[in-house]
Amino acid sequence: MFSDIPVDVSPMHEGERIRAANMYVELAGPKSVGTELVQVDESVVDGQYEVIGPELSEMIKGEVYPFGIKIDIKGEKLEKEIEGVIERRTHDLCNYVQGFMHLNQRDQIWCRVSTDALDEGFKLIDLAKSLGILFKEEFPIIEEITVTILTEEENVKQFVVDAQSIYAARDERARKLSDEDVDVFYGCLMCQSFAPTHMCVVTPDRTALCGAINWFDCRASAKMDPDGSIFEIEKGEVLDDVKGEYINVNDIIAQKTQGETDRVYLHSVFEYPHTSCGCFEAVAFYIPELDGIGIVDRDFGCETPLGIPFSSMAGQCSGGKQVEGFTGLSLEYMRSPKFLQADGAYERIVWMPKEIKSSLEGFIPKEIYDKIPTDENATSINDIKNYLKDKNHPILERIAILGSDEEKSSDDEDIESFGEEAMDMGQEFVPVASAPEMGMPLSGETKIIFKNAKIYAEKVIIKKSKK
Amino acid sequence: MCDNLIIAVSGKGGTGKTVVSSILVKLLSETGKDLLVIDADPDSNIPESLGIEVDKSVGDVREDLKKDVNQGNISSGMNKWDILDYKIMESIVETQNFDLLMMGRSEGSGCYCAVNNMLRRIIENISSNYDYIVIDTEAGLEHLSRRTTQSVDIMLVVSDSSRRGLHTASRVGKLSKELKISFEQIYFILNRVKMGNEEELSKKAKETGLDIIGLIHDDEVISEFDLEGRSLMELPNDSEPVKVVKDIIDKLKI
Repeated sequence: MFSDIPVDVSPMHEGERIRAANMYVELAGPKSVGTELVQVDESVVDGQYEVIGPELSEMIKGEVYPFGIKIDIKGEKLEKEIEGVIERRTHDLCNYVQGFMHLNQRDQIWCRVSTDALDEGFKLIDLAKSLGILFKEEFPIIEEITVTILTEEENVKQFVVDAQSIYAARDERARKLSDEDVDVFYGCLMCQSFAPTHMCVVTPDRTALCGAINWFDCRASAKMDPDGSIFEIEKGEVLDDVKGEYINVNDIIAQKTQGETDRVYLHSVFEYPHTSCGCFEAVAFYIPELDGIGIVDRDFGCETPLGIPFSSMAGQCSGGKQVEGFTGLSLEYMRSPKFLQADGAYERIVWMPKEIKSSLEGFIPKEIYDKIPTDENATSINDIKNYLKDKNHPILERIAILGSDEEKSSDDEDIESFGEEAMDMGQEFVPVASAPEMGMPLSGETKIIFKNAKIYAEKVIIKKSKK
Repeated sequence: MCDNLIIAVSGKGGTGKTVVSSILVKLLSETGKDLLVIDADPDSNIPESLGIEVDKSVGDVREDLKKDVNQGNISSGMNKWDILDYKIMESIVETQNFDLLMMGRSEGSGCYCAVNNMLRRIIENISSNYDYIVIDTEAGLEHLSRRTTQSVDIMLVVSDSSRRGLHTASRVGKLSKELKISFEQIYFILNRVKMGNEEELSKKAKETGLDIIGLIHDDEVISEFDLEGRSLMELPNDSEPVKVVKDIIDKLKI
């Protein structure tokens, strides 16, 4: 099939690097410009291969040249939406060609041709031909293909500009890719070396806690190494699309965490929040007094409104423990349209450090942006409350409803309920625990349930029991 | 999979580890084979002694990527593996005789599991393209066990006559056993030995449990080069350190 190509074409050449010392010329890369683009085009005539601009023979050894790979395809089943997926293979397929190095994608490509390849008689037109054959082999839905290689500077520059606007449009679509649009999620166990009962679930709407990998990265990784620490989870049956609960996710979490966790809500801090390794970029924490959620990130060194810094909070809810009212998250997840959607999304957020808030401008709904206090506006619960009242934060409605709920529920079981004014919180008290609902171990027939409990103590003594 | 040879040089800083690595690089680069130098010691000055300048380290690349991710600067259609791959390739200093990759500073706060995982694989892939890899590594072996490669073929431990140097050397030996890093071969090189002190020092060195493969005397030429900031690549072939390392290369059939 590749009989008229002077170099070997096979997957075994993937990962080939060409040292500057062994290189004939460099194409695109950090010292020049270049890009690659796959487009569906009805006017394609199959098998047209062309190099516009200097061929290798007209280039000077050791120099860097602009480089464009323009691939146009046609096929009955081909749609515009699939262009990106097909284009993504350009990297691998170029690397099948011995003596041709290709790194990265889009307008960030970096290629080199080895002196060995040139000596074998390799030309850029051979690259075009090889790509034509390989793409059709890889994607049988491609019926006709043309490949054009561009090496003339003005041409390439214009090509890059045109391609960039197409990438932008594709990214816009990718950003809109949601949990509903896909059939697989991914599980990541990379942190199990120190959090053996933690598994990250990565979906289009929820990047991994560490912020390092999103759904697309996982897809690439699982493809490269299906038995690696990132693997596919068939999405399967949805149990609750708002909270983000899925049968298969529950099953696999149970399996991979030695049964430690067997239920998880992807988009809530309540009941069954996603567990955390310790790597997370930020923590979302429930503030019972306000029935709201605060966010603190790793770089925030001071105390949070709960009276403890990020580090102590991180200690409480990391290591694969499922702690209701707390969940680790990535900063990117805060840009997700499903960000804590089960809890009320940004309408439920009542505090976050200033730096995070400003990085989220444009993602936090406009009407609520100014209503969320930061460490600049308030650091104590009381100050936050005043700020929220002042700005008429939507959480006030929740607090109002919550208040009436409590009155209603003071029936048979509840003997007495205290209003929060009854408690005088002096600064010298140390927070011990907080939870939206908490039972007290008691003997006898009385049962005491604290709603939105926050326990403070003048002094906390931790002692090793002597037995 | 790949038939390249990975040689790691370790030892306490200031004992001449970098001198040995540099001479190895000098001699191996004369073979015309593809040679990669990995500077895995944040405190080492191997780029300087090889006469090159490094712009960016793997550590810098890692921090840059983290920053870009946090600020949402990476477009959704781009894949971070490929971006890292490109950036690491970009950070390699390429010369006619050898290429150099600097690992650089250690991590800041936050999670590095994912990025280190990616880095390990990327560096493994890059390494597989070279015939020889010389790693100048810090004594602790952390870089070795975590980031670069597990499959070091030859480990050369360097020490001068100082107690601390010898102690570190024996620790490297023990650590490598504990970490279950399997070196095909592990040897000891004594450096900066005073004339007439050879026997006593060799005895002490044996207590580390490592086999001595070479002994380099206190060398005036090296001190001169050091003082003048000259590249060790220019060391004369008839100087003692070069001769000793050449001898080691021959003994090990590199």
